[in-house]
Amino acid sequence: MSEIKLIITGTPGAGKTTAIAAISETPPVRTDQATTDDLADLKEETTVAMDFGDLTLEDGQKVFLYGTPGQRRFEFMWKILVQGGLGLILLVDCSRDDPLADMDMYLENFADFIEETGVVIGLTRRDECESPDLDDFYERLDRWGTVFPILEVDVRKREDVSLMINALISTIEFA
Amino acid sequence: MNQPRISESGEKFCQEVFAQMMEQSHAVYGVLISTVDGHDVTKRFKREMPVAKLSAMMGSVLALGETIAREAQQERCRYVIVENSDGFILTLKLKEKLVLTVIASADANLGLLHTLSRNAVEKLAKSLK
Ligand SMILES: Nc1nc2c(ncn2[C@@H]2O[C@H](COP(=O)(O)OP(=O)(O)OP(=O)(O)O)[C@@H](O)[C@H]2O)c(=O)[nH]1
Ligand SMILES: [Mg+2]
Repeated sequence: MSEIKLIITGTPGAGKTTAIAAISETPPVRTDQATTDDLADLKEETTVAMDFGDLTLEDGQKVFLYGTPGQRRFEFMWKILVQGGLGLILLVDCSRDDPLADMDMYLENFADFIEETGVVIGLTRRDECESPDLDDFYERLDRWGTVFPILEVDVRKREDVSLMINALISTIEFA
Repeated sequence: MNQPRISESGEKFCQEVFAQMMEQSHAVYGVLISTVDGHDVTKRFKREMPVAKLSAMMGSVLALGETIAREAQQERCRYVIVENSDGFILTLKLKEKLVLTVIASADANLGLLHTLSRNAVEKLAKSLK
């Protein structure tokens, strides 16, 4: 494989744009625009089309990272962005009301893609909120009849993003 | 929702401007104002079209246009034009946080569409807060 395309998704504010900026070797491509709805209380800008970044793994493998918009209304971009993708990183923001429901929502919407590829779940903002427990997430995954890797990450840190990418690549390789 | 709403008088003014545009070019059959982050604000459509979906898509398309311009080291994206076998979709920024989209059939004159849209944006920008 000469190039690997991976997708990052999750709720608005989960840290998709931050993760790509943290790890990309070239200046990331961003499409953030001013927020004009309730989200404005949390952040000034939101991704409306895509993020893009790239990196090279230790073995020389080139990885292209595509970030999606978080909001449901941009669902059409989700469908475009997963094309040709080999795996999904799903970021779950633990400071939100119901992170387990958020996880379910994206797992459901990306179900076809996940079935063909693989997924790694990254729990973000654990410094702000330690619940739900890691076990609660695994329990919830049980309902999906599979086990996916779940990692607690700070996407502002390059190493943490790298951890998720490596976990995802191993998942895909051994699938 | 703390969404950008326009006043009743603002709405009326928008409708007047939209009607004028449709008057000036009969090929124009849809005019839409939406936010940069993809919410619909107001519209005038002569045909049925999915407003919410188009609003989100126009937000994405315009943002991509601006991003592509930057990547290609070109300055300030003025319009994004989607030219199809049976029509045109032209979209441009309206002030900081809004997007104007003009949808026209294939018999439209693209030059005229540019002018119409540009004039409309100037008029609307003055009166919309
Ligand atoms: N406190 C804290 N903040 C974090 C953490 N991870 C990310 N952030 C912050 O959370 C924000 C995430 O914003 P984005 O990266 O724009 O989120 P996004 O997922 O791209 O959001 P949308 O584009 O709106 O869908 C940034 O301000 C980060 O600095 C974390 O673990 N703890
Ligand atoms: Mg983003």
